[in-house]
Amino acid sequence: MSKIKKSNYMNPYLAGILLGLVVIAANFISGRSVGASGAIKSAIVAGVETVAPAHAETATFYKEFNEGHTGNPLNSWLVYQMLGVILGGFLSGVLSHRLTWKVEHNPRITSRTRLIFAMAGGILFGLGSQFGRGCTSGSALSGMAVLSLGGFISMMAIFGTAFALAYFFRKLWI
Amino acid sequence: MGPLVINEIISENTNLLLAFFIGIGFGFVLEQGGFSSSRKLAGVFYGYDTVVLKVFFTGAITASLGLLFMSLFGWIDLNLVYINETYLTSAILGGIIMGAGFIMGGYCPGTSFCGAAIGKIDAIIFIIGLFIGVFIFAEGYPLWEGVFKANFMGSPRISEFFNISEGLFALMLIIVAVMMFWGAEWAEKKFPREEY
Amino acid sequence: MKKITFTPRMLLTTILLIMGVIIAAVPKNTTTPYKLSAEQILDEIKSGTQYLEPEQIAQMLVEKDPYLQLIDLRPQSEFEKFNLNGAINIPIDNLLSSDYVDVFDQDIKLNVFYSNGSSQANEAWMLLRQLGYTNIYVLRGGMNYWAEAILNPTPPSGLSSNDEIARYNFRRAAGQTLGAEGLDSAPSASSNVKTTKVPAPKPVGKKKKVAGGCS
Repeated sequence: MSKIKKSNYMNPYLAGILLGLVVIAANFISGRSVGASGAIKSAIVAGVETVAPAHAETATFYKEFNEGHTGNPLNSWLVYQMLGVILGGFLSGVLSHRLTWKVEHNPRITSRTRLIFAMAGGILFGLGSQFGRGCTSGSALSGMAVLSLGGFISMMAIFGTAFALAYFFRKLWI
Repeated sequence: MGPLVINEIISENTNLLLAFFIGIGFGFVLEQGGFSSSRKLAGVFYGYDTVVLKVFFTGAITASLGLLFMSLFGWIDLNLVYINETYLTSAILGGIIMGAGFIMGGYCPGTSFCGAAIGKIDAIIFIIGLFIGVFIFAEGYPLWEGVFKANFMGSPRISEFFNISEGLFALMLIIVAVMMFWGAEWAEKKFPREEY
Repeated sequence: MKKITFTPRMLLTTILLIMGVIIAAVPKNTTTPYKLSAEQILDEIKSGTQYLEPEQIAQMLVEKDPYLQLIDLRPQSEFEKFNLNGAINIPIDNLLSSDYVDVFDQDIKLNVFYSNGSSQANEAWMLLRQLGYTNIYVLRGGMNYWAEAILNPTPPSGLSSNDEIARYNFRRAAGQTLGAEGLDSAPSASSNVKTTKVPAPKPVGKKKKVAGGCS
């Protein structure tokens, strides 16, 4: 049982090499690299501009965003890339027979607990990704690929904190 | 030659189309590597499953080595690729907040989209949380604009910061990563978990 | 189980370490590849867009146009003997020195090359153009033609058209304004010129700005 399940995922080193090739392709084609949180930011800006255009014109955050971007915020590299990520993940799930609706959690906690913490974690990650100017993909992975100082700082801060707090949240996972 | 779009070999619209295909590759690899599972992702922090560490560091090393070799062969001009800006204070602060979010939510933004793509409801909830988090940042921006822009350091490469060559830094990174891989294999044997 | 995970890791470790040693040992590739094909360069040469006429330069000098950057390609000794007003000296031997990258890699000032004739200026223009710099021009005819056209213009004959007379008048006026200082021959003034700092405007990149990041 366990062996069949395990071999279901790709060898992590092979997956890592392929991940590296994706990052190289992004740099070679577009001179930039993958990211996720930037697409969410574009979506938020687009949403606020649609729902409350007056607010979007006065609040500093949206003004600064629009200084650096022209056109529809959703017409951006990262947004198209994230649409691709969803399709790519879906295709991989189809190929490996992993498509199921489920709340994945440790059997020792309830689905409800898992979802509450998922929400809390999402909020924190969303907030932190804006401070860090990118998430694990946009700042840490992409930054490390081009040997950026900021990328390494982000990576160490994210993983360092998660390790440091792991003990307090152990009930969620083990 | 590269980066193609900056050297105007391909157009801006082609670039956006290719972004979609790069995304497909990215999402496919993440899902195949097991990044769509929060329990696999969180495993690295307890030693029972270190797939994150292996995939992430192999990816970072492959990418930086590949780019350095491509630069060596003259296939890409590394002066033209984007290097993210370093704002020391907010990079550390953001990293700490993200680390807390990681251990609580079990995902990071990219992987949560992969999880959602194969039907993980916790991943979808995490994504909703991401939107709320970014929205909070946007609305509260005047409160933390000062912190956000403090200690700007430009866009340095880490090799410039330590004043060594990029190749030498890459070698050091590889040595550190290889040692971590050995440690990870050891930890997986020491803290075995039942399959899930 | 052990076999499956152990072997690829050993292989990967070995390959990564070997590649790491190679990349650490070889010097960084600092050559900049040519940005334009031979045909593109030939097209530009045929159309002659690189040339600026002495009148245009004289006009800018008279108006003290802050965006004009004259670049003297002759050796320093010749530059010190006489030069055009406000020119900086980049001897053609040092053209590719990294000290001058900031001069070329900007699009605020108009870089205009000159030497005695225009062949050296053309050579410099062609080289830099191939490296992808766009903001560079050649003073047509160089210093020799400048002296002939601006400083000692030939009076037009009686049968000349109004245009030619107007051009002569302009040249004479410009020549008188620039004459004393235009061809800078006093050693004191030249030492003054020598200390003119090479401007270092913020480089804006040869091509479009790199976009990116997760923000």
